[in-house]
Amino acid sequence: MEPVRSQINQERIEAEPPLKQKKLRKRKSWVPGLLLLVPILLFLFGFFVVPMLYILYLSFISTDSLSGAGAVYSLQNYITLFTDSYYLSSLWITVKISLLSSLVALILGYPIALTMAKSTPRMRAIITLLIASPLLVSIVVRNFGWYLLLLPNGTINSFLMNIGIINKPLNLLFSELGVVIGLSNAYLPFMVLAIVTSLYNIDPSLEKASAILGASPLRSFFSITLPLSLPGIVSGCVLVFSLSMSAYVTPALMGGANVPVMPVVVYDQINNLLQWTFGSALSYVLLATTLISVFIFTRAFEKSKFKEVFR
Amino acid sequence: MNTMGKLRGAVAIIGIIYILIPLVVVIPASFTSAMYPSFPPEGFSIQWYTKILERPEFIEAFFNSLQFAVLAAFFAVLFGTLGALAIAKYDIPGKTAITSFLTAPLSVPQLVLGIALLIYFTPMMLAGTSTGFLIAHVIICVPYVIRLVLTGLSGFDYNLEKAGAILGANPLTVFWRITLPLIRPAIISGGLFAFLTSFDNVTVSLFMISPEMRTLPIEIFSTMQDAYNPIVASVSSVVIFISVVLILILEKIHGVGKVFGGGHH
Repeated sequence: MEPVRSQINQERIEAEPPLKQKKLRKRKSWVPGLLLLVPILLFLFGFFVVPMLYILYLSFISTDSLSGAGAVYSLQNYITLFTDSYYLSSLWITVKISLLSSLVALILGYPIALTMAKSTPRMRAIITLLIASPLLVSIVVRNFGWYLLLLPNGTINSFLMNIGIINKPLNLLFSELGVVIGLSNAYLPFMVLAIVTSLYNIDPSLEKASAILGASPLRSFFSITLPLSLPGIVSGCVLVFSLSMSAYVTPALMGGANVPVMPVVVYDQINNLLQWTFGSALSYVLLATTLISVFIFTRAFEKSKFKEVFR
Repeated sequence: MNTMGKLRGAVAIIGIIYILIPLVVVIPASFTSAMYPSFPPEGFSIQWYTKILERPEFIEAFFNSLQFAVLAAFFAVLFGTLGALAIAKYDIPGKTAITSFLTAPLSVPQLVLGIALLIYFTPMMLAGTSTGFLIAHVIICVPYVIRLVLTGLSGFDYNLEKAGAILGANPLTVFWRITLPLIRPAIISGGLFAFLTSFDNVTVSLFMISPEMRTLPIEIFSTMQDAYNPIVASVSSVVIFISVVLILILEKIHGVGKVFGGGHH
């Protein structure tokens, strides 16, 4: 008995290094890790953080656009922006289109997510592949598909005219409707993936319990499934809204000059008019509007009747 | 229940069709024999594919895209894998903050990033150069690589590395023979994903191109703005074909849905 016991004791002593030594090793142990991180940290600092801060700085500089000289620090860019109705209405169109795109994505996306949550794992995998793959095909290609469908002589207008519902083509493209179709289509997969994640997390026994207690499927849905999936709905809407707010390609192709959303206006200022300081101010106003809208939206839900589901 | 279930299924099918339809109509439209693109196509011909060969700007843009995508994926994988390894393996203080920082380029709109880089690069003589273009694309690709490799490392058994070291392998051999093979699927998915992200990009590229250096999506974008030409349908079909092949490989290795943070298997 005795020798075995001492052997165990000895092993334990060997296995546990003295506290001081352990601490020392731990303090030193992350240094090589930091070395691995240095390239990417430097890279992102130099080419991401600094440029982003640089245009923030530029946005507070106003230049005399005639002479180009005499740069002074001022709020002039922001004052111009907020007093000119063109920029304010552009901001409003952007918010409106982004809200509508989120709404369309939610209405179409929720049933897809619900269907995924109720199907077999194999079916889930197939639907996930079908809805996520378009995200990996260039947006210009998806927009071209909409051109084929929505142009005045496109599939939808030809069809409606052939069966005699309309006698002149509808303006589906180069309108706000066109932009909403393009954006909701482009970002719908994000909505579905956000909602489905929260649906997967719902304990299935909750719905069973409510059925046993006599609730109709509709009632179970509205008092269990829907409230518990609110975090997914909120994060999906936030994602689609923010992506729509800053989307340039789809509004440029599907709205064109008829729908001057902020990104299109900013692009014009930077690339065509070369108004870099003003364009920088517009960029940051676009960013701030997005962040503030998202904050208000999220906050409204977190303070709502269902605040418990947001942890 | 049954009517509710049917209704839900019907709306879900409409939603899935809505997601897929703009891609589905492009391929048949590219085989039209008419002078304008339409769906359904008129007649059948491959003339719009042979006409691609008569448009050197598309060919050149395609090879530019390919080159940049390969290089961007390479650097994103290199930097991203090292970063992800550091975060997963070492007890670095402020780990969560570092992770959010490394994936932050995803939350900044590409439009604003493009503007910032154009303005920043111009005095550095990097605007409109391939170096500037590559830097911009690495920035937008690296967060995906970090995310994928971190997921790949989440179940990693570090005892295997220790065992290797105890058996006398030096750290480089341990990395090469043990760590790398185990996280290879995550690295390959990260690389493929970075490739597609770069290959498809329009918004950031718009600020980085020069008249002499354009990419395929940019060429499609400007052709679409000028004219309604069936050649866009055939070029787009080629893009869809390349994407589908890579998506299927990605699905086999990793699962496409997981890349975007949703859907589990």
